Amino acid sequence: MSNKKPRMKGKDITPFLVFFLPMLFLCIFLFWPLLNTLLRAFMKMGSKFSLDNLSLQGFKRIFTMPIYLSSLKNSFIVGISVTVLSLLIGVPMGYCVARVRIPGKKMILSLGILPVIMPSFIGAFSWIILLGRQGTLRAALNWMLGPLGLQIPSIYGLGGIIFCMTMTYYPFVFLLAEGAFGAANALLEDSAMLMGASRAHIMRTITLPLILPSLGAASLLVFIRAIGNFGIPAILGGETYVLPTLIYFRINGFWDLNGAASIAVVNVIITGTVLYLQKRLVSKRQYEVVSSARSQIRQHENKGARIFASIFCFIVLVTSLLPQITIVIMSFFTKWTGLFPEGFTLNNYLRIPKNSGHEFFNSMFLSLVATFLTAILGSLVAYITERRKPKGAAVLDMAIMAPFVLPGTVVSVALISAFHNNGIIALGGTYTIIIISYMIRRTPYVYRSVVASLTQLNPSLEEASTIAGAHWIYTFRRVSVPLILPGIISGSILTFSTLLQELSTTILLYGAKTRTVPIQIYSAVNEGLLGQASALSVILLLIVFIITYISNHSGKASLSAGLKMG
Amino acid sequence: MSLNLSYQGVNKIFNDKTKAAVHALRDVSFTVNPGELFCLLGPSGCGKTTLLRSTAGLETITSGKIMYGDTDITTIPPFRRNIGMVFQSFALYPHMNIFENVAYGLRVRKVPEAEVKRKVTEVMELVGLQDELKRNPSPMGLSGGQQQRVAIARALVYDPDILLLDEPLANLDAKLRRYMRAEIRRIQKRTNITTLFVTHDQEEAMAIGDRLAVLKLGVVEQIGTSDELYNKPENAFVSNFIGKMNFFSGQIEGSCDSARINGRPIIVSVDHEKNRSDGMPGTKVLIGARPEQMEVSSLASSNSIEGKVGIIQHLGQFIRYEVTVPCNVSEKTMEIDMPQLVPGIKEGDEVFISIKSGKGFFFPQEVSVNEQ
Ligand SMILES: Nc1ncnc2c1ncn2[C@@H]1O[C@H](COP(=O)(O)OP(=O)(O)OP(=O)(O)O)[C@@H](O)[C@H]1O
Ligand SMILES: [Mg+2]
Repeated sequence: MSNKKPRMKGKDITPFLVFFLPMLFLCIFLFWPLLNTLLRAFMKMGSKFSLDNLSLQGFKRIFTMPIYLSSLKNSFIVGISVTVLSLLIGVPMGYCVARVRIPGKKMILSLGILPVIMPSFIGAFSWIILLGRQGTLRAALNWMLGPLGLQIPSIYGLGGIIFCMTMTYYPFVFLLAEGAFGAANALLEDSAMLMGASRAHIMRTITLPLILPSLGAASLLVFIRAIGNFGIPAILGGETYVLPTLIYFRINGFWDLNGAASIAVVNVIITGTVLYLQKRLVSKRQYEVVSSARSQIRQHENKGARIFASIFCFIVLVTSLLPQITIVIMSFFTKWTGLFPEGFTLNNYLRIPKNSGHEFFNSMFLSLVATFLTAILGSLVAYITERRKPKGAAVLDMAIMAPFVLPGTVVSVALISAFHNNGIIALGGTYTIIIISYMIRRTPYVYRSVVASLTQLNPSLEEASTIAGAHWIYTFRRVSVPLILPGIISGSILTFSTLLQELSTTILLYGAKTRTVPIQIYSAVNEGLLGQASALSVILLLIVFIITYISNHSGKASLSAGLKMG
Repeated sequence: MSLNLSYQGVNKIFNDKTKAAVHALRDVSFTVNPGELFCLLGPSGCGKTTLLRSTAGLETITSGKIMYGDTDITTIPPFRRNIGMVFQSFALYPHMNIFENVAYGLRVRKVPEAEVKRKVTEVMELVGLQDELKRNPSPMGLSGGQQQRVAIARALVYDPDILLLDEPLANLDAKLRRYMRAEIRRIQKRTNITTLFVTHDQEEAMAIGDRLAVLKLGVVEQIGTSDELYNKPENAFVSNFIGKMNFFSGQIEGSCDSARINGRPIIVSVDHEKNRSDGMPGTKVLIGARPEQMEVSSLASSNSIEGKVGIIQHLGQFIRYEVTVPCNVSEKTMEIDMPQLVPGIKEGDEVFISIKSGKGFFFPQEVSVNEQ
């Protein structure tokens, strides 16, 4: 100031420029596509995208034509049943693991997460091997139940979809419930016990109300995922459609973008309504669950309870892990229609380099590039909203998080709707459009993870740098990034490992040149090539497991953060 | 050559125009002289940190001006102000060794490597860390006092125009605090950088500062040297914040430098200099007396008030008597320092206390004054 004259007077505008770039990206690739979809939903079927063609035809069809109406109904049935069943399985299991003395708790917890990490469509097709029309498990069970005059129905249809989704999503409830039961204040329960309350009374009046917010959040997560899931109903649905598969059907079968847009809008409205209701209900009952040392929590020692709990957890865990075991076995055989697989072979694997080399390259390339760009975008936006707090930070935050609750098919409908090959910017069938869809869908992962690291980073470290004369970009590079790197890395790993198995967005966006491994698995299943599909799945799972394993052993926060976002 | 740092009518309102508005600084105006070590002192939440952060540019003030010499720095962004700051938490970078921590401001300024080496070595010698610099560990492995020195070195290395210290000693233990405050004064006098030092510890402020500003609820109550604040406090708040003050309520009697303690036939007269009441006879005033301006005796005199001895503490140079005096419905505890033990007075005894003639202060009766 004295000898050195200030280089410039007035405010520093760089943050606003850098704020502007991500905003621009979001405007072009998120807001505009969503707005486009919304407008398109009001276009007559088959008509051009123009304000002259406005009509409510698309919506009218949803509420009048049988296939639309039944899809809507099916989506509701699936969403609600999967949520209820997940609660019925997850809550007791969480209670057993947290409150009953049973062996192998650690293992139950770490195996319990596997169904979530595994792509749900892989689970679906291995259930076909087990419970399909000629499924091995079904054959065995029917043979046993035959004398009683009972029959297990095949996995196809609504029941199978619900069953398979429940086995995929119950871990959300189980893990959150376990955490809540484990953390609920032991002192509160002790004092109630001293006042003479019975165990059941304490459960009803103290413990359950305390964990209700956690359960509410878990149910919401399950519901949103269930009605947004594409892979399971696509494989197990057959003639039974739900909204995401109907969207796919409208586009893939009829190139009816306008119709697909109407369905997408309805799908988003359902998600939004549920989200809103949950916010209203849960925010009214937020209690401070003061966590206490886990050892203080009273455990059931009773022998009956222990045996029951062990068996219950064992059955659930084995059932939810059967698909993984099944596809590993299947990948070494050509056929598995009777009790035992037939035709041992290594061909399923040996053919991969030739048949799937390009797909593996695509999957790796798309995921890596998208992860890299997502890491930059997510960290930058997290830093800006958290540290610079510009006007409109709340809007940016919401915009970034919105795709987190949007079903993958909706995101791709929006992108197709805005960038299909007859549009102004033609991106159909390119790598670019897939990478953009991946970025839009996964930025929340990195964003959340980085915001969490930033809130733990004392701002005075960055202020010290500013005062020492550093421009904020310098500060970001030299101080903030090195210190939030763990957050960036864990968010990126989660992004990468979930992108490798992405199906629901890719399936509407890929072209001949951009097929990925999950797409190939999906079509192999449709062609009945279960051996080939299994071998590809095993490789994919191995990669995902290795990545998840490494990330778990390098940073603790990643997995729980990943769980919350799935 | 340093210049004046002056604040002109500075106001800071957090969350302005909302329900949660906090008026953290009110019309703050004063000037810090070049090379001065200036202390900001006040109770928690009075706005010391806010004033410091506004000086650094980390907060934008709501109105007013901050001038450095003739330059208005109010709107200059913080990274262009050339200021050094030491944070309470030290804010050292865990991912850099101590050399890189200290060199940070030079690296930002793209100083050539040889110059960086020379400057870092020089400043580390100044703060007494030349040996640690040879090992060059991560700052996380250093003791609190050493971390503090690194933080000071980091703030000084690029010759800032102003040095800001926000409670830099709060994280150190009592013995180290005393040592480090002397060190800080030594370093400041050696470098002669205009320095603002924030603390809520009046002993620390009096020991270290050339001048002090006492803040209360965002308002500067008084500015002066330790001596001026102690001997000529402008109001009851300052008088009780800088050193201890015993208070009595009273009324001006006769001339304006004598007053009668309420409900007693006692007249207190003060040195005209210290009389801040300027009141007519009958005006209510607050009569203040420092512990050493009072006396304890086992004998009554015409100017004494009866009380009961609570605790007697031997504090080295003097003996402190705590005497409870009935006051309206409750009672008050007075602290009185005597040069030596008064024979015949034990804890629990009835005694008589008085204000030495010509000593004591008159303050206007304030509603919210912290009477004790
Ligand atoms: N970012 C902020 N937003 C809202 N109010 C604030 C903010 N920072 C400080 N305040 C308020 O401004 C007032 C002054 O705060 P400041 O931190 O300057 O006090 P302080 O004198 O440094 O106190 P301490 O001795 O506790 O550090 C307080 O009432 C505080 O609550
Ligand atoms: Mg402070």
